[in-house]
Amino acid sequence: MRILLAEDEPDTAAYVARGLGEAGHNPVLAQDGKDALHLGLTEDFDLMILDRMMPGLDGIEVLRRLRAGGIDAPAIMLTALGRIEDRVTGLDAGADDYLVKPFAFSELIARVNAIARRAAPQQAVTHFTAGPLELDLLSREVRRDGKPILLQPKEFRLLEELMRNAGEYVTRTMLLERVWDFHFDPQTKIVETHISRLRGKLNEGGREDWIETARGVGYRIRTA
Amino acid sequence: MKRLLASAAYRIAFAASLGFALAVLGIGAMSYIAVHNAFSTQLDETIDEGVTALMDEGFEGIPALAESIDQRERMVGNSLDYAVFDPHGRRVAGNLETPMPAAGWSRIEFTDPEEGLDPARAKTTMLPNGYRLVVAADLEPVEAIDQRLLIVFCLGFVAALVIGSGIAFILGGYLKKRLTQVETVASAFAGGDRMARAEVTGRGDEFDRSAAALNAMLDRIAALVANLKQVTSDLAHDMRTPLARLRSELEALHRAQGPEREAMIGNALDRTDDILALFGAILRIAELEEGELRKHFAPVALGPLVADLADMHVALAEDSGRVLEEAVCKDCRVVGDRELISQAVINLIENAVRHTPDRAHILIGARDEGDTCRVFVSDNGPGIAEDDRDRVTERFVRLDSARSSAGHGLGLSLVKAIAEAHGGRLELRDRAPGLDASLIFPKEPT
Repeated sequence: MRILLAEDEPDTAAYVARGLGEAGHNPVLAQDGKDALHLGLTEDFDLMILDRMMPGLDGIEVLRRLRAGGIDAPAIMLTALGRIEDRVTGLDAGADDYLVKPFAFSELIARVNAIARRAAPQQAVTHFTAGPLELDLLSREVRRDGKPILLQPKEFRLLEELMRNAGEYVTRTMLLERVWDFHFDPQTKIVETHISRLRGKLNEGGREDWIETARGVGYRIRTA
Repeated sequence: MKRLLASAAYRIAFAASLGFALAVLGIGAMSYIAVHNAFSTQLDETIDEGVTALMDEGFEGIPALAESIDQRERMVGNSLDYAVFDPHGRRVAGNLETPMPAAGWSRIEFTDPEEGLDPARAKTTMLPNGYRLVVAADLEPVEAIDQRLLIVFCLGFVAALVIGSGIAFILGGYLKKRLTQVETVASAFAGGDRMARAEVTGRGDEFDRSAAALNAMLDRIAALVANLKQVTSDLAHDMRTPLARLRSELEALHRAQGPEREAMIGNALDRTDDILALFGAILRIAELEEGELRKHFAPVALGPLVADLADMHVALAEDSGRVLEEAVCKDCRVVGDRELISQAVINLIENAVRHTPDRAHILIGARDEGDTCRVFVSDNGPGIAEDDRDRVTERFVRLDSARSSAGHGLGLSLVKAIAEAHGGRLELRDRAPGLDASLIFPKEPT
């Protein structure tokens, strides 16, 4: 993916750009808001990562102008503050996601991948499969090897998020945001507990575990 | 004097006394003019009456007029002087010794047999054959009254000035003293004396009120400064431990190899996450205390929210060996932020799980209490000693009994800050045994 990366802090910019490059993306760096606005308006990008605080034009203003200029590429806002107020203004300006600095690179790449998947042209998918697992959004049914498994609503949502992103890591924070709609870290093990319950139900009888845990990154469902 | 006038208190006091003295002077001038005019008019009337009385007798030649004048001059209580001049300006009758005046009203000078030259008011009437009749009244009594009035009012003015200045000195001094006190206290406070307070006399006057307001402000500032100091030192202290551990872990990485190295990197990352979470909590509390978040508030149905949060944690409590039960969650609507309220309730649940022994029971529910909504998380654990109940909501306070367990000592401060941002409060009650932690929110206005 061609990604516009607007970040005025050279170390962070270099670190993120290298990481994106290693993950197979093509990052284009803008060092300030004006630069970012110019690049955003004149070139095509699949995704924009904008730092909120930049000299001259800040990220919010850049995004607002880009959106006003008809640029609808998905955007991730990076903020150093993590205030509720900032998240709200960021989303109001047209950001699709936001991330508080400092962040784990795995968190950023997971979000980039999730956005890429969402942006890819797809019909409204209602049926997901991964290995022996099947999940149907319409009948709200989960099956393993064709046999139905009964899940609690939150467990169902959790599995849905993993299956939507099958093969990719979904971070704990993303799960908190999408399954529970929490934009804060509750500092409890609710994600872990629910994953463990989900695993227990999916793998009943000592069957193979299809959910992988990567410490400090998140969870993913294997596709094969 | 220049130094005195540099003080607003003295300037105001002096200006007031000068104004007072000028008012006395003004009243004096007006009285003087009024009295002088009244007396002059009265004198003119007396003279007119004298002329009319002589003329009413009918003019029967100069000798008869002279006779009549002579009679009047000799009457007791006569205040008028008369003179008749022939056409050559010679006085032919009357005692008024003066050169012949022009016709009509005039001011003349005549020779008093006792006092010499004296001013007088005179009316000169033309008689047949070029004779003139002059009737005059001595101006001396009027002038004496004028003079006395002038003296009285000048003395009054001087007295007003002197008394006014005296009062101005006293008043100015008083104002200055009481205002300087405020200044002294403020400078002392600014200079670092956190105990400096303005004196309140107890009279309840405006100075007392402003001194009390100043003291209240100073108390608040002193409390904030103390709190800031405490938080800074606690923060420094609480950060040192995880940072020191992080440092030694990073140092050990130099020597580590293979899977051990991976595990150590994981530990170090966890440690940084802990530190970041601590900062996150501090920032969140600060943001809540600013009160800016209110503008994003919306109606929240507490009943379903609390039921949801309880469901969410049943498994978690079970895994850690506690029993979490959901009491009836009556719906009750408040105005607030769903996530913040969730965070507060989760913190309470987390506390209950963390600070109770195995197999403890935790009960969660919501209640409608008329004007307020209550969300309660109660347990049958050891509870919190009464003396500590207020303290636990302060930042970084961790009771000794909880020192060993995880947590940064900000949980309850955050809960309290969330409750207060919603106009509510956190209530910690003893359930004997156990603790009842309740969030009390004002109900959504209908």
